[in-house]
Amino acid sequence: MFSVGDRVRTRLRNPAGHTRLPRYLVGRSGRIDTVLGTLPFSDRRAAGVRSAKETAYTVRFAAEDVFGGDADPRGSICADLFESYLEASE
Amino acid sequence: MSRIHDIGGMHGFGPLAIEPGEPPFHHEWEARVFAINRFLLRAGAYNLDEFRDALERMPPEEYLGASYYERWLHALESLVEERKLLDVLRR
Amino acid sequence: MSHVHESSAGASNRVKALVAAFEAANVFTERELDAAVEAFLASAQPANGALLVARAWVDGAFRARLLADGNAAAAELGIDLARWAPVKLRVVANEPGRHNLIVCTLCSCYPLALLGPSPSWYKSNAYRSRAVRDPRSVLAEFGTTLSDDTEITVWDSTAEVRYMVLPQRPAGTENASEEELRALVTRNGMIGTALV
Repeated sequence: MFSVGDRVRTRLRNPAGHTRLPRYLVGRSGRIDTVLGTLPFSDRRAAGVRSAKETAYTVRFAAEDVFGGDADPRGSICADLFESYLEASE
Repeated sequence: MSRIHDIGGMHGFGPLAIEPGEPPFHHEWEARVFAINRFLLRAGAYNLDEFRDALERMPPEEYLGASYYERWLHALESLVEERKLLDVLRR
Repeated sequence: MSHVHESSAGASNRVKALVAAFEAANVFTERELDAAVEAFLASAQPANGALLVARAWVDGAFRARLLADGNAAAAELGIDLARWAPVKLRVVANEPGRHNLIVCTLCSCYPLALLGPSPSWYKSNAYRSRAVRDPRSVLAEFGTTLSDDTEITVWDSTAEVRYMVLPQRPAGTENASEEELRALVTRNGMIGTALV
């Protein structure tokens, strides 16, 4: 369970099936921007579990933390990510 | 990593093709594909993530060169066949 | 070009066959499909988004409600967000020094009910790949420039939340009616590729 402001990191994962953690955000550090509550959990729904749900969060990433030093220092990316995609970070 | 649809951040796709005032569908078949998908989703034939999964399973070489609604058509045909939807939904 | 025409003719034939098969199985008719498209186009329009924007511009309390709970605010104005699937709406506000851009890198998720059908460029490989890594160059293709010190947030619609931008109210519109304000709002402004 995460709270707004928590630092998180997306887990290293590369599933063969449907998932909604884009590859450009794998293994990246960001902060919880919003707690979205439970949403339809895509990975399991694609496997036929029709009512699968999981807590999701809007996570804000600094563009430089995603794409490196060439990125816009004023840029950020927000993505809506399920709890199972995330782990706590310092 | 991941599947071919997962292109966020990639280089090489060139400039946007902006068509001011474009119609919602460029061909009648596109509108029909849109409507078939809405019907089947509403009928519970599959859910949105199962549909997206079918899109993502398109062979990578075909996915990249296909138009948006060609991808949808591929997904629809796959799901109709895999799930025997004509039989399942037949009345 | 001919590749496009050939593949479209092929797609057309495949769709004809699919429709015929479903009709033969009594699942739906071609006419029902066409009626569904018409109904969708009639109800899903950028005028809906513009309604929310203009009201937020003239009514500060509504603006706060819109940003806190997009679904409730849309319902207040009679906009049916999800005729057939539950969808959470989040409206993100442009402010002086802060700009927002919406994308779905993984497919093409889009607030259809508020903006109508999405433009082809929004669904394109080029937009989906570049919006997250170089939003300024994307904006430049629309003739939109932001100052170097503007903070840009790109919202990647990865779950069942749909995003819409609340553009800044243009200068010099202090005496405009709400109806006149609605006419200023563009679909691209609500995606974030235009300023309004």
